Amino acid sequence: MLEIRDLYKSYGKTVALDGVDLDVAKGETVVIMGPSGCGKSTLIRCVNRLTEPDRGSIVLAGQDVLALSGRELQRFRRQVGFVFQHFNLIARLTALDNVMFHLVLGGMDREEAREKALDALDKVGLKGAAARRPSELSGGQQQRVGIARALVTNPEIMLWDEPTASLDPILVGEVLEVMEELVQNTGTTMVIVTHEVSFALRAADRIVFMDQGRVVEQGPPQQVFSEPRSQIGRLYRKLLLN
Amino acid sequence: MLDFFRDGFYKDLALLLAITVLFGAVFSQGIAWAIDAYFGDTLDQMIGGYGEYDLILHIRAEAKEAAWRELQRIGEQSFPGYKLNETLTIAGQANVFFGLPPEYRTKEVLESITSYFGAVPGLNGYTLMVQPSVLIRGVHPGVREELREQIEALPGVRFAVKDGNNLVVLAQGEDQLPQVQEAIEGILDQYQILELRFPMGFAVDTQEVGDRALEVLRAQEKLTGNRYLNVTSAQYGEDLDAFLKTLVEMRDFLGSYASKVRIAPAAGTALAVGERLVLDGAVQAGQELIVEVTGVFGDLAEGMIIQGSPVQSTDKVVHTGYRLSADGERGEYVGEVEIENERYRLAYAVEESLRLLAELEELAVQASAAVDNAEAVLTTFQEALMQLEVLQVQMRQLNEGIAQSEGKPSGEQFLLTLLLNGLFQTLAQSVLSSGEESLDSLENLDIEEMRRSLDGISTQIANVQEINVAAIMEQIGFVRDTLPDLSDAEIGQSIRLINTYLGGQVIPGERVQLLIQGQKLNEKELEKLFQKELDHPYLHTYSTSAGMVSPDARGEIFRILKEVRSIVAGLLAIIFTLIVLVLDHATIFSTLKQLRAGKKGAVRPWLRWADPLLLMGGILGSALLSSIYHLARGQIPFFTPAVIAVLGFALGVLVAVLCERFSPVDSMELMAAQALGLSHVQIMREVVIPPSRPGLLNLLNRFRQQF
Repeated sequence: MLEIRDLYKSYGKTVALDGVDLDVAKGETVVIMGPSGCGKSTLIRCVNRLTEPDRGSIVLAGQDVLALSGRELQRFRRQVGFVFQHFNLIARLTALDNVMFHLVLGGMDREEAREKALDALDKVGLKGAAARRPSELSGGQQQRVGIARALVTNPEIMLWDEPTASLDPILVGEVLEVMEELVQNTGTTMVIVTHEVSFALRAADRIVFMDQGRVVEQGPPQQVFSEPRSQIGRLYRKLLLN
Repeated sequence: MLDFFRDGFYKDLALLLAITVLFGAVFSQGIAWAIDAYFGDTLDQMIGGYGEYDLILHIRAEAKEAAWRELQRIGEQSFPGYKLNETLTIAGQANVFFGLPPEYRTKEVLESITSYFGAVPGLNGYTLMVQPSVLIRGVHPGVREELREQIEALPGVRFAVKDGNNLVVLAQGEDQLPQVQEAIEGILDQYQILELRFPMGFAVDTQEVGDRALEVLRAQEKLTGNRYLNVTSAQYGEDLDAFLKTLVEMRDFLGSYASKVRIAPAAGTALAVGERLVLDGAVQAGQELIVEVTGVFGDLAEGMIIQGSPVQSTDKVVHTGYRLSADGERGEYVGEVEIENERYRLAYAVEESLRLLAELEELAVQASAAVDNAEAVLTTFQEALMQLEVLQVQMRQLNEGIAQSEGKPSGEQFLLTLLLNGLFQTLAQSVLSSGEESLDSLENLDIEEMRRSLDGISTQIANVQEINVAAIMEQIGFVRDTLPDLSDAEIGQSIRLINTYLGGQVIPGERVQLLIQGQKLNEKELEKLFQKELDHPYLHTYSTSAGMVSPDARGEIFRILKEVRSIVAGLLAIIFTLIVLVLDHATIFSTLKQLRAGKKGAVRPWLRWADPLLLMGGILGSALLSSIYHLARGQIPFFTPAVIAVLGFALGVLVAVLCERFSPVDSMELMAAQALGLSHVQIMREVVIPPSRPGLLNLLNRFRQQF
């Protein structure tokens, strides 16, 4: 489904990605973990070209992502759901509009888009908050709107960029709950960047540890947490055991 | 970066630019026009519309109502169809516009304004504002008529009117004013007034020196062909000249009545002109007697009483003088001060004359009566003399008879002869002997001559009596009454005041003015020449024009207003461009900055100023400002189109550099919009522009945004 090869990205003298190779199979849930600044977010932003890699290749569902431009890129992005750490909702729009507006702009009939958006909100448990603006919602609710927005297009792949990192610990649970449910029920390919070890253990098909812009270890959750080979793996194991 | 515009936003941007330029031009021009219109209307109210009125009559505010009625009367009687309007009253002076009907805008009428309006109550003066006209200020009186003739011969000129020291040249039409003005300037350029000034105290004969100066000029080979004229006498104008002469006479007249103060300084005492002395001695009650030294001549000095009054005396009065310090303190003794008052003497002489005349009249009456008496006496005397002669003859006959009767006596005759012979003979003999002599001597008196003399005296007395002594006395009495009823101090102060005025009016030193027509002369070169040839090393020369075309005040105000409008339009164009860049374009620049943040490669420091975004900002700013400035007809001094383009570029770059401060874009919303697969135009319309600063971009976007 997703093939990332030899991906490089630097910001000035800071190397964010240093030859990353990663494969994600269709329907697979991959959780990427690693310390802050290791390149996790950069990696998944490169997948939908929110960040332009310096070199390497990304192939998603047979499409050379880095070769896309203009409308092709826009069309490609509509097939990729992206959930942001800071929700990135449009502040002036209601929850419903936040979820449906890109459908309408993509050419969908407004009523149909509305139905789909309400469905998506229903899935994340926020149908009743459809008319509220982001400022009227809690952080968890905002993130759930963000999830509904990513989900509403039935994307081939969903990219999660630390979806709970900005949330109050009390609110993390409700988001993780939604995420786990989606992982279990939608069958969508998911690449999730998170520090939630327990969530990763429960939801991931594969865990990828990154450090200093490189993939240092990957494997099924039980394997990487029980017999970690990398320093990062061992740190996460310790965290899990604690 | 071009990708950003390529997917459709270029249309929005193009529309924005077009409307921005249009709106900016309309806004800038509109505001400038409104300011212009406002001030224009205000000016119209203050000074009337162009050509609407021909005169501003300056009238004392308190006489305004009476003047208004009089002006209406004059208008109805002399200028049917006149226009009258009141404008501002400033500092107690009301100003009234008077518009002449076109048929009365003639040279004759305009030069006779005073005769028409001179009797308007409270009139302080007037200003000609007839249009279309060219005003020539400060026309030298010596060349005025000559200029007028030449100017009136110019095409497009109706006539020229003298207005004080100015000439008002009326053009046939407003469109001909520039040509007329140019031609007038050409004429004025031919003339030059060369002024020769002498230092204060040099009282030169201006006619003589002027003529000599003309000879010097004419002798210069390189200056042949020029025309020269001594116009010194015309420099003040006839009225002022006469006035100054009157003042001088008045000063001398007053001076002759003032007490003569002669100061004999004590040994070792030096006096200076302007010093003040306080005098002791006989003075009238009141203030101290103070004199000011007006001249020092060796051992003597002269002065003038400036305070107090001396005793009234026809004789010299001697006082003791003491120096008076500036703070009024009496100082040391300076000498004896002798005061002689001609005014008192004159008054005394006039009184005595009146007495003399009164006595003379009486004397004439008495003399006439005496002559009449003398004539009567003379007549009586003449008659008596004749009787005496008859008596003498009779006595002689009697004597002869007596002598003859002595030979033939009768009885009675004899008796009578006896009686008379003794008596009469004795008498007749004695009478005859003495009477003969007396009569002879009386007969020798020239009675006729005496009578003629008396007649002559009588005629002269009659002549004297015919003189109207009463009239003479009345007039001498009038002279007595009109003698200045001023104290010496008042006379002194008046003389000082006149001197001050004369000092202000009459330029220090003497001056000679020469009119030069033709080639322009260098005054500084001529200065040396004149210093040498006229033998006046301290002489200076100055050159002035014979008259100066003055911009029409009204036209000038409107020209300034037009300039102000252009400047305001220009400034508004700059401000508008800056506002548009900050409110609208900064949003676009911010978005571009955000979008390129994730692009490949880092910007090299040396390439920072070649940043395409800054370049785009500069070009946009330059294009916007140049277009708006041009369409708004902005015109700021020194702001050429190139300067405006550079300024616009600089503003654009500045806004591009600071765009995120002026109009920050929510990077998270932007990233979300990108991640959701929105096109750039959709991102702008739905995500970036709606929450941006209110501006044209925001306003236009409302017609396009769907959410």
